[in-house]
Amino acid sequence: MKPRIAPYVFIGPATLLLLAFGVLPILVAGLVSLTDMNLGGLGDWSRIEFIGVDNYVELFADGAFWQAMANTGIFALIGVPSVIALSLAVALLLNRSGSAFFRALRSFYFVPAITAIVAISLVWGYLYNTQFGLFNYLLSIVGLPPVSWLSDPVAVKFSVALVAVWRGTGLNIIIFLAALQGVPREYLEAASLDGASGFRKTVSIVIPLLRFAIFFVTITTIIAWLQFFDEPFVLTKGGPIGASTSISLFLYQEGFSASQFGYASAGSVVLFVVIAAVTLVQLRARRADVDY
Amino acid sequence: MKRSRLLALPAVVAVAGLSLTACSGGGDTAAQNDDTLTVWVMGDSSANFEELVAPFAEDSGITVDTVAIPWDSIDQKLTTAVASGNGPDVVQIGISKLRTFADSGALLSLDDDTLADYPNLASENFISGVSGDATAIDGEVVSVPWVSDTRVLFYRTDILAESGIDEPPATWDELRADAKTLAGRGDGQYGYYVPQWDSALPVVMTWDHGGDIVNGDGAVDFDTLAFESAVDVYTGLYADGSVPTNSDFDQTQGFTSGVTPMLVSGPYLAAAITEAAPELEGKWSVAPIPGADADTSLLAGSNMGVWGSTDNEEGALRLLDYLSEPETQLTWYGLDGQLPTATAALEDPSLTEDPLVAVYAEQLQDAKILPLVPNWDGDTGKTLLDSLNAIVLNGADRDQTIADLVAATSGTSVN
Repeated sequence: MKPRIAPYVFIGPATLLLLAFGVLPILVAGLVSLTDMNLGGLGDWSRIEFIGVDNYVELFADGAFWQAMANTGIFALIGVPSVIALSLAVALLLNRSGSAFFRALRSFYFVPAITAIVAISLVWGYLYNTQFGLFNYLLSIVGLPPVSWLSDPVAVKFSVALVAVWRGTGLNIIIFLAALQGVPREYLEAASLDGASGFRKTVSIVIPLLRFAIFFVTITTIIAWLQFFDEPFVLTKGGPIGASTSISLFLYQEGFSASQFGYASAGSVVLFVVIAAVTLVQLRARRADVDY
Repeated sequence: MKRSRLLALPAVVAVAGLSLTACSGGGDTAAQNDDTLTVWVMGDSSANFEELVAPFAEDSGITVDTVAIPWDSIDQKLTTAVASGNGPDVVQIGISKLRTFADSGALLSLDDDTLADYPNLASENFISGVSGDATAIDGEVVSVPWVSDTRVLFYRTDILAESGIDEPPATWDELRADAKTLAGRGDGQYGYYVPQWDSALPVVMTWDHGGDIVNGDGAVDFDTLAFESAVDVYTGLYADGSVPTNSDFDQTQGFTSGVTPMLVSGPYLAAAITEAAPELEGKWSVAPIPGADADTSLLAGSNMGVWGSTDNEEGALRLLDYLSEPETQLTWYGLDGQLPTATAALEDPSLTEDPLVAVYAEQLQDAKILPLVPNWDGDTGKTLLDSLNAIVLNGADRDQTIADLVAATSGTSVN
């Protein structure tokens, strides 16, 4: 019997932490979403009333909620393929050489991932600024009209997503690089003996062998983009007129700015269900996959 | 990184639950002991406030522990303080947040009996727009005035003169006409600046057209002729091409560079202009807000409240009493540039000698606070701004948008 305890001892602490900070908040949010809890209720619990699914009914009738949902979908459509393609391409290039220069480049690409978001946004805010920003200055040099990067309802989605793509690639490049180290040399050598070109080797051997890494990066990237928050929060506060409000930012505004905790909890439960569904679909699709 | 944000909301709720259970038998932890006062001041720096209260700390033997709360994080800070019961002793409250603070039930009621021993806190000492009943919530006073702020018209005398405008516009219609003239100076030049985040401006315009956004029943009501007139001015400025449409427009830069030679703002803009462009000295001035049927401007600023669960109510009230002395408020103007709320301080020659301040002080006599709805910044004001911006920026249908605004906000009660 005794050895059987060992695994539980090892996973115990992590499981407890996960339960306390992962599962419990979701359960609490589920409960709170059935009440009209606001700031007053937070201070005095007797002022909280159980209102059933009213929050959900109101949420699904709320234009701002659907706008935020649509924005989040657009962000994910722009962001996820860009991040994956870009970081895979950079990782393949970086992997071509192990020289000191390329090792320095790796840290260079990782820098955006570890820089504070507030500093990043300040700098990008200045780059995008319509009055004295660098981008419009560059456009003016080549004779193009200025762009309202953060004020135009369409342009703002790309502007905000670009910053997040730039920031999101670093970590994924590192993951891809690590996976690339695991590609067996024998396969590549055998292909070389058969006369395969570098391009052919990449397409037919390296990328298929990276399948699990790509799968992992895809799932985490999709989840990250469904929870997109930092960039629109600091760059635009969700404006103009909600054009860059992601669903997480919408929840933040309802929960913390408007103190409607019940309403915001209902939204967060919906977001949780969406993310869980998307992830489950992907895991299901993966099951049919062949492992090497 | 992003993951933690999603969990933040339920986590706060969960932490609230845990800490309430933990504290149930322990009483509150607001102050460590009777000789310490924790004060939350809004802004980035607490240095000036520490200097201001140093004489008080010396006289009373009370240590004042000042914590600066950035404007952006007030909501989170308040939420966690209410949830955990770990509040300060004294807290500065922006007037637009007053109703939220009061509704949270966290503030001490400052009725006449409580204030009887503190003569400086009597409501008749302060400008009437924010004292006593003016900022009572549900008939209950939970704060006392601290600093005031009003909006006036800033204009560039040199640029207006070049375009043949000798006097600052006295009405909103004149302003619109002048702004159009000034916008005609050339490409990339405008006449006026409308901050897209400023929900007070359309309200001020409504007041100046002889109306209000609150009806006789004490409920928000945008279905009035005065509001229609305000919308005409607001959307007209955009239709004329007189205002920049980009949301990241920098008002200080726009004013000093002359791109927007007129705008309505508060005294802090004067400080920013002096700092950013001292060479403009004498080329700009301020005037009372343009009127139509009235010349009412916005009365903003901050009040001070006492956290209900404080261990040191007497110390907190003594501190408020000290802060309300005209002398202290004048010192604060010198240190931090914020206008007093005590009438005696506002009439002090050291202030009124400055022609700019004389205009502010005059405007303060005719200024009103925004209606104390449950959540102006996040709800009513946001809906108002979103509606107007949708019309002027996205070309949304005017009548339909206004009808939606009326429907979304009607019935929101004040108090």
